[in-house]
Parts: sequence; structure tokens; C-alpha cells
Amino acid sequence: MPEISTNENKLNGSQMAGIVGGGVAKAVSGLSQMAGVEIHVTSVEYKKVRVKEVPYLFGGPEALIVGVYLGITGTTNGHMVVAYQPSVAFELISMLLGQTPKSMEELSEMERSVLGEIGNVMGSFFLNHLSDSMGVSLQPSPPAVMVDMAGAILDVALSNILEHSEYTYVIDTLFGTANQQIAGTFLVVPDATSNIT
Amino acid sequence: MVIETVISREETIVVGIGEMRVAKFPTPMIACIGLGSCIAVCAYDRTTKIGGVVHVVLPSSNGKETDRTPKYADVAVPLLLSEISRLGGYMSRTVIKIAGGAQMSLAAGQNDAFKTGERNVAGVMEALGKMNMSVSSADTGGHKGRTVHMYLDTGRITVRTVGGESREI
Repeated sequence: MPEISTNENKLNGSQMAGIVGGGVAKAVSGLSQMAGVEIHVTSVEYKKVRVKEVPYLFGGPEALIVGVYLGITGTTNGHMVVAYQPSVAFELISMLLGQTPKSMEELSEMERSVLGEIGNVMGSFFLNHLSDSMGVSLQPSPPAVMVDMAGAILDVALSNILEHSEYTYVIDTLFGTANQQIAGTFLVVPDATSNIT
Repeated sequence: MVIETVISREETIVVGIGEMRVAKFPTPMIACIGLGSCIAVCAYDRTTKIGGVVHVVLPSSNGKETDRTPKYADVAVPLLLSEISRLGGYMSRTVIKIAGGAQMSLAAGQNDAFKTGERNVAGVMEALGKMNMSVSSADTGGHKGRTVHMYLDTGRITVRTVGGESREI
């Protein structure tokens, strides 16, 4: 979403990348507060990709991933998916709960809710930053946690993009504590019908 | 974890999001990987061993003339059948099977984003009805992603979910 209409004017790609970078920093600071450990952002990459290629950023369409989906409502509607490799989700869970899950495919209610809460906190902080920076209002829906094939999870957001574009923007980010690196990918997609295109 | 594939990727034609692939035996198989709300519409003519799979993303193009791509059910179904005919297949012998159209999340209060699967199934059925074609076998709905394989030697279609066995439909 390189050209977002704000109240005043349209933003160019690099302005947008700046806002997105700030949003990721906010999202990670939210996670840091939640976990009670210092977490910092190592890198943020904001890139334009073909919709068809998106599942390959997550290890291929059949790779097992953990996705937290948040609907976006407000000035514009849209979708947000925060996705992690299973091993990363394991680390996040053990960081917050102090115990490692037994199996990714059969997460307990508690583990699932922790992942949802992480997505919720990161999503809210991210959207708040976007809202403040652009003078719009964006709120996340309750999180939906999915553990499945990357292609299947991404369908929710990608089918919406494909309705109006062959390309989309994704945010690849690396963050971590002093001794742990965490890789996460954000997919933020405005609705076809929205005024943010 | 990546689920193992039966035959190496080099020998398999993979259908991407919103794409269509039609092939003839001895090409071994066509695969549609990681379907959530999307649908794999599979058509196969047993006599000529010509088969095709289309990865449908959305139910309808809403008559958009500028965007006649197979990502829409109403465009995909006629396109798939005409491509099979063009390569020498016959409609009267063509068997249609579909898989996909899952609702990926059960969370309460979610918006319509998770109902796309249902709408896709309806869109595919409507498009098939218009061509006087019926579905001989289907595996749709549910809450899990699917991977679909068409074996071009026999037209056998298998569906696999994460942690599940591959089963024929």
C-alpha cells in the first residue's frame, strides 16, 4: 500500500516504509512490554511482491505456519496476518508461558490464546502507529489463530487482494532479545473497496 | 515442517494461486498446494488422459471484462473445459471433481473474510451448472487447508490435510 490517501495528501513509497518501520518498532515494543523482557527490532524490510509469490515468503504454500489473523476496521477496512515459522511460535510461547508446547498441531487452549494475544498486541500497536502517523482510525478485530499450510492461511487475505491487484506489500521483520532472534512476517492488506489503495 | 511429496517437484506441475494448468499423460501429475478458501476444480478425460486443474480464488468476476483470468469461478470453469476440448478431450467423458473452500477460522465475531470458501463452492457449482456439467466427487468446507493432486495416468484425485493421510476423492 504505497499510496495511502491521508486527510491531506498521498504518501510515497519511502514515506510509507518509514511509517511501517515505526509501526513495527511499536508492535515489538508492545510485545516487549507483554513479555517483560527487552526485545528490539533488528531489521524491517518493506517490499512489494507478486501475490502469487507471497506463500513462498512463508516457506512455500504447503509449509506449516502459525498465522494470527486480525481484521481491520475504521477509516478503511482490511486484513492483517502476522505469521511465524512453528519454531518461532514455540519460542514466543515458551518466552511468555515459561514452557514449550508439545506439538504445534495440537496447541492447548492456553498456548493458542497466548499466540492470539501476541498477534493482538502487535497488531494494535502497529495499527495505532499507522493511525497516528496518517491521521486515520484503524482498529483490529479479535485475533484468529490458525496453524495450517501457509497457502491456506494466506488465502483469507490474498483472495481479497487478488480482486484488485496482482501485487501486494509485505513486511519482513527480525526482532529478538539479547540471545534470541525472532523472525516474523506481517501482511497488511487494505480491502479492495477501501479508500486506502 | 514441510509435508513430503510423493514425487519430486520437477515431475509435478504446480498450479499457482488463480492459475490454470492443463496437461496430458505421460506428464505424471498436477498439484494444487495449500488451498484454504480457494478451490481446485479438476477435470479429466479418461480416454485421452487429458486433465486440468484450476485454482479458483473468488466466486465471480462480476462481469469485469478487463479481468478475464481463471482466478474467478465464472471465468475458470468455462476456460478449463474449453482448454481440455482444444487439446482433444470430450466434455461427455470429462469427469469433474472439486476440493477446497474451507472456512479457515472458527473464531466468533469474525468478519466475512472467512466465508469466502462457502461462496467459492457456490460460485463453482453455478459455473458448472451453466455448462451442464456436474461434480462427480467433492471434498469441500471444513476448517483445514488442503493439497490436491491429480494423477494423469488414471485421473485419480487425492486430497491431503496437515497431519492427515492422503485420501482419494
